[in-house]
Amino acid sequence: MRNSRTLLYILILAVLFTLPFYTGVYLLNVMDIILIYMALALSWDMLLRSGQISFGMAGLFGVGGYAAVLLHLNAGLNPLVSIVLGSLIAGALAWLIGVAVLQLRGMYFAIVTLALAEIFRVIVRNLPDLTGGPEGTVLPSAIFSGNSTKTYWLTLSVAVVSIIASEIFRRTRIHFALTSIRNDEIVAKSSGIDVFKYLVFIFMVTSAIQGLTGGAYAHIYGFVSPEGSFSVDFTLLPIAMALLGGMHSTWGPVVGAVLLGVVSEFLKLQIPYGHLLVYGLIIVITILFFPQGIVGTLGQRFRKYGSR
Amino acid sequence: MSLVSKLKQRNYQIAVIIAVLAVILAFWKPHVLVEGLQRACLYAVIALPMALILGIVGIINLAHGEYMMLGGYFAYCLNVYVGMDPLVAIVPALIAFFLIGMASYRAIIKYVLGAPELNQLLLTFGLAMVLEQMANLIWTSRPIKLPLKYVSASATIGSFTFGTYEFIYVGAAMIVLVGLQLFLKRTSMGQAALAVGQNPRGAKLVGIHVDRTYLLIFSLSIALVGAFGAIFMTRHSIFPLVGAPFTMKSFCLIAMAGIGNLMGVLWCSLILGLAENFVLSFRGYAGWADILFFALIVGVIIVRSRQRQVK
Repeated sequence: MRNSRTLLYILILAVLFTLPFYTGVYLLNVMDIILIYMALALSWDMLLRSGQISFGMAGLFGVGGYAAVLLHLNAGLNPLVSIVLGSLIAGALAWLIGVAVLQLRGMYFAIVTLALAEIFRVIVRNLPDLTGGPEGTVLPSAIFSGNSTKTYWLTLSVAVVSIIASEIFRRTRIHFALTSIRNDEIVAKSSGIDVFKYLVFIFMVTSAIQGLTGGAYAHIYGFVSPEGSFSVDFTLLPIAMALLGGMHSTWGPVVGAVLLGVVSEFLKLQIPYGHLLVYGLIIVITILFFPQGIVGTLGQRFRKYGSR
Repeated sequence: MSLVSKLKQRNYQIAVIIAVLAVILAFWKPHVLVEGLQRACLYAVIALPMALILGIVGIINLAHGEYMMLGGYFAYCLNVYVGMDPLVAIVPALIAFFLIGMASYRAIIKYVLGAPELNQLLLTFGLAMVLEQMANLIWTSRPIKLPLKYVSASATIGSFTFGTYEFIYVGAAMIVLVGLQLFLKRTSMGQAALAVGQNPRGAKLVGIHVDRTYLLIFSLSIALVGAFGAIFMTRHSIFPLVGAPFTMKSFCLIAMAGIGNLMGVLWCSLILGLAENFVLSFRGYAGWADILFFALIVGVIIVRSRQRQVK
């Protein structure tokens, strides 16, 4: 059982890795978007497992993007190195914010993260010498000079990194710590779990993933701007994906990202100005009717039939 | 009660701080004082209904600013198609948004009252996105402003000129605050609502219809904020995203004041309004005024958590 499952993963990875050799550029571009949002959805879900909800993905995504682009332009670093450094900067920033804000939880944390994108946007706009101000900064050329195969491999590795991180967090002691914090913080504390430390740590890791994604995205499209990099899309879509797929699991956000990523390509053509409406509706409907999401609901079904 | 123990109460503390700041400002930068007061009342009038929902229904409504945005568009449509002045449109807006609030409560909010806080937050966030994008689809993201003559009224004292129309915010804030206080303290319905806010189960035991109270409070708050949208749109241009910052600032004020403290919301909005206008008055730094509320909320959270740890 275990071996066959490992074999399956390797097979899927091999198929995904060799995808560029037998598909066109358009499909690769769609895959780029899906994989970027998949990483964001996973990082959001990883924090959610501790019972904390973040609306700040767009903020840290934009910080990672700006850091990567500015490091590449001003310090002349290799784009890949600058993406990794950008993710570390986003993580460090999240550590500072987390230490200040994670003392209080629930809605206080949620609202503060909701403000993050707005705050970073204002800061970026008001430092025109460094960031290019309201117009943003354009790179002389995109990463790998726009080669879609290499770009695809970059986004694939970002997504794989976040899947691996998510699985590590599900299979080690951290998983039990976070789950017990979510269920009952006082019990968790009395079992000897340092709640604050774990929360800051997980917030830092998820933010670093968001920064990594932001850096990759900024380098692929070759520009950063206050409106584009901190756009509400990067908060709304991942939440809709993770919710539709199913919270508190690795495969839920993955399934949700693939489903909604394909749907969004279709929607953008049908209703170009209001396609975000559908994501809002998906969030509302999922919360009201099946908060477990697709993977959770199907999993329950299977377990029911299995026990019969 | 001695003066010292009075000072220990939050509202008095804040009032004293504001009084000192106001006296300094009045001599140094009078326009900061006047415009700060107007801006503060703008914040207060939006935050008060949100505080009411949070205090009694116990739901943090992240779609709060979006209802105000819809109220603005409502007044705009009445003006374009019927020729009604936005200030007259307050009355139909009150009725329409009471009904919209009822519909939202019945169709959506009711089902997450007992759900975990996470689900409530996500649901109202999704609702905010739906309303925003709906407005985007119907009216596009182009800012809309009506050409109204009376909004540019001004008065001059000595060499100091200031807009007088914006004092309508001060009036609105006073009406909403005094009205809500009277409603909550003097009427039996309001007292029932306070009881439900304190202890829903106990309220149910003594025969209060909890669900109907929630419905009333939610719809009333939406009606207030929707009707204020009509006032808001006379002075400011409206676009689908106009409400979102107000949701966050309102929450910041409520968190500063403490949940259930309506008077406190007014004092805290005075601090925020004066501080923002103070920053705005420095040329070249005006852009930073938008993040002051964030600094305030982080500061409040840190102070609060220290206090909690000491206890």
